[in-house]
Amino acid sequence: MVKVKINNLSMKYEKKLIIDDFELEIIDGELLVLLGASGCGKTSLLKIIAGIIEPEEGTIIFDEKDITNYTPQKRKVGYVPQAQVLFPHMKVEQNISFGLEAHKLSKDEIKERITWIAEITQIQDLLDRFPSEISGGQKQRVALARALAIKPNLLLLDEPLSSIDASGRESLALTIRRIQKETGITTLYVTHNQEESRLISDRVALMYDGKIQQIGSVIEVDRTPRNYLIAKIMGSSNVWPVEYLETENGNSLVSTPIGLITLPYEIKRKITGIRIPPSSFKIVYEPSEEDKVIEFIGRIKSIIEKDDENFRIVVDLKDAHLEYFKVDCNKEMLNIGSAANKELQLHVLPSEVILI
Amino acid sequence: MHRSIQKKSRNFEGLSNKFIISLSIIALISFLLAFFYIPIVRIFQTALSSDSGSGFKVFWETLSDPFNLKFLGFTLLQAFLSTVLCLLIGLPIGYFFAKYEFKGRKLIVNLLTIPFVLPPVIVLIGFTVTYGQGGWVNLLWQNITNSSNVLITIDGTVQGIILAHVFYNLSVIIRLTIPAWQNIDNEQIEVSSTLGVGKGKTFQKIVFPQVKNAIISSSLLVFIYTFNSFAIVMKLGNFNFYTLEVLIYESFDLLKFSEGASLAVIQLVINSLVIILYLVVERKSRKMAEGKEKGLKTERLSFRGKDWKSIVSLSLSIFFVFIVILFSFAPIIAIIVKSFIPKSPGDSPFWGYSQIFTQQKITPLNTNTIRLFGNTLLFATVAAVISLILSVLIVFVLRNRYQSIKKYQRSASESLVSYLIILPMATSSITLGLGLYLSYSGLSSYYNSVWIFIIMSHVLISIPFVTRSILVAYNRIDVELLNVASSLGASRVMVFRKIEFPLIKRGIIVGGIFSFAISLGEFGATFLLARANYETLSIGIYNLLGSQTLQISTAMASVLILITALCFYLINKFGDIELKV
Repeated sequence: MVKVKINNLSMKYEKKLIIDDFELEIIDGELLVLLGASGCGKTSLLKIIAGIIEPEEGTIIFDEKDITNYTPQKRKVGYVPQAQVLFPHMKVEQNISFGLEAHKLSKDEIKERITWIAEITQIQDLLDRFPSEISGGQKQRVALARALAIKPNLLLLDEPLSSIDASGRESLALTIRRIQKETGITTLYVTHNQEESRLISDRVALMYDGKIQQIGSVIEVDRTPRNYLIAKIMGSSNVWPVEYLETENGNSLVSTPIGLITLPYEIKRKITGIRIPPSSFKIVYEPSEEDKVIEFIGRIKSIIEKDDENFRIVVDLKDAHLEYFKVDCNKEMLNIGSAANKELQLHVLPSEVILI
Repeated sequence: MHRSIQKKSRNFEGLSNKFIISLSIIALISFLLAFFYIPIVRIFQTALSSDSGSGFKVFWETLSDPFNLKFLGFTLLQAFLSTVLCLLIGLPIGYFFAKYEFKGRKLIVNLLTIPFVLPPVIVLIGFTVTYGQGGWVNLLWQNITNSSNVLITIDGTVQGIILAHVFYNLSVIIRLTIPAWQNIDNEQIEVSSTLGVGKGKTFQKIVFPQVKNAIISSSLLVFIYTFNSFAIVMKLGNFNFYTLEVLIYESFDLLKFSEGASLAVIQLVINSLVIILYLVVERKSRKMAEGKEKGLKTERLSFRGKDWKSIVSLSLSIFFVFIVILFSFAPIIAIIVKSFIPKSPGDSPFWGYSQIFTQQKITPLNTNTIRLFGNTLLFATVAAVISLILSVLIVFVLRNRYQSIKKYQRSASESLVSYLIILPMATSSITLGLGLYLSYSGLSSYYNSVWIFIIMSHVLISIPFVTRSILVAYNRIDVELLNVASSLGASRVMVFRKIEFPLIKRGIIVGGIFSFAISLGEFGATFLLARANYETLSIGIYNLLGSQTLQISTAMASVLILITALCFYLINKFGDIELKV
């Protein structure tokens, strides 16, 4: 249970910097999700923190202590790699006691610890089994128990749900969240799946180009993504990159894949993308002469029923190949009888367009 | 203050690992220098500088001697023919065992492998009893045809040599191609047929390219083994035919060391080229097999629900397999049966066995048989222990992932060792023996310590196989296991004791028994080095081959077969035999 601070960390892999002047602070006791695409250096970062790989440069500080030169043995970090690697020749109980023996705990203490962690991770019934005799989700819980049993300073989880089948993912994610809160161990959770960060994170850190690009609660990042790419990684609907921007006579012309959009004000800062929330669209059945609105024409691609009253429809844009909108609407707006392939006219108020 | 202590501790972990690795490398290099590289250098020295002074003279003379050239050609030709014949018989058999599932399948494949682990003298005596002048096949033929003509002559003929080589090496092709066939994803074949491609074309375009490398690499192995054949050609060649290996021995026997060494250099060059080619192809075939989950669909061996065409072809396949099993077992059974047939009616069937367990010396042996047994078992035990220690060290240097994970690259010491152990793989046992003799026979204590050199030659011959057995087991260890273990606080020693060792234990057991079995039957180097009191069973049996009664030699051979079979049984119990080097 420590506060972690990582300062200007760098690492090369095959002569390419994959972690580049990296900075990160993890608050004592929080569950921080590190979100980034596959191959962005997340796993390498975990291995550096665990002491398995040496960085080219940089320091890692636990509380006030610089542990950069500590061996993996001395760091007391709970490391759970992506594939659930349990020691195949040891029973679950022996897997857990391995780290405790390494830390020279007495027999009684070891017994006590195992009982404690087995209860928290709910693996009491598995202690006598070999790893080959338990399921993927159970293996992950055992791996977690093994890492937690030594009461680590910091818990490192590498894509813990990636090898679990879809039906078990959510419950395991919530189990991890519960265990983390019960033990209060500072945790760094690495994933490429933004859904997981929504499910369990205290804060989320987005990583690409070897750096953390934005950090904050999921709500903060969702609301104010720093750039188009971050909005995209967070899985926001209806975001598009901005190709170029021109301002004239107090208006701004924004070029995007969904066409040239005119906004009735001057944009003074650099923007990387725009977002139109699904609820900002209005379906219009009669041609309107209103000239302040932004108008799109498209065809309904599919209709998803959210509940009796509300629908989300996916609309193919007529003039822009391969681009589509997600539009939220109610029964009345949708005009019962609408079906796939029906042409629709959509209006959006310029004030509803969010600049990223 | 705290930081500096911790820095030291990091260094300590790193240092203890470095220390272990450095010590291993020093041990390995000293062993290889003393018992391999110095002897090899000595061979080059002897070949390239003669007493008359002018450097390459003897070498060129040896190389351009028509007699030598003729038999260099013969060595290559017989190796090629033996390999082709092994392929012709082995490939269909391998495919049969990959495709059909039936009771006892694994047992038969294992039994077919026994010839490979048999000592060469066993093959010789088995062939003599089965196919020799008065052997059972010829007796049977004479009875059937009611004439005195023989069906087959193995003494002094090419066919004898090649037949023995096929007997010996068939299992290499069978065993090494079975996994390649099994690795072919059946869905690929199904997809190919839905794309409208016929069976023949599918085989040519989809199946064959995936088994090609396994076929080539197993062929290269058979080529290497037969190219360096010694005992079989020495006996069955009967001064009509020589392999390079026999020529080297003959030169040594006539004290023409420079000539022998020159031939050894040529042999070493050819061997090295083939081994390098083999390593390249083997690597490719291993890559091909990586990451495959689905395999060939196996079929139950059954005649039910088949049309007459399939029934006929299946029957023919089974008959073919049966013939090959017969071929692989006849010599072994013949030896055992022969050992119980009395010399003259009324004598005890156990006479041969009673003779070998007495203290008295049997002519023409140089020492009594109990001593032969003792030597054989002692040498094999010591050789197995040393081979194991060295092989574990080699594996640790080659797969020092514990260190290399921190660096993401292969260390220089690792590369050095991996190259240093290629050459011993390419060195024949006669060359090895010759090198050891040339390097150390000048020592005053040589004749009393010759057993050390015999054992060391056995160690060098078995190390590639033992290393391979352990490496296969070690490669299965997920490196993340070691990472997790160290982050859980385990020291280098604890990681080895609790994780690595238990996971390679079976590989170590298999390697140890295999080394024991190899030493048990090793012929070439022992034959060249051994003097009277240090001879082994193999040498004893060989010396008895020319004698009137075969009852004593077949009895000795039967005991050797029994021990070898026991080793093989144990190997299969703990893991799998590695025919590859």
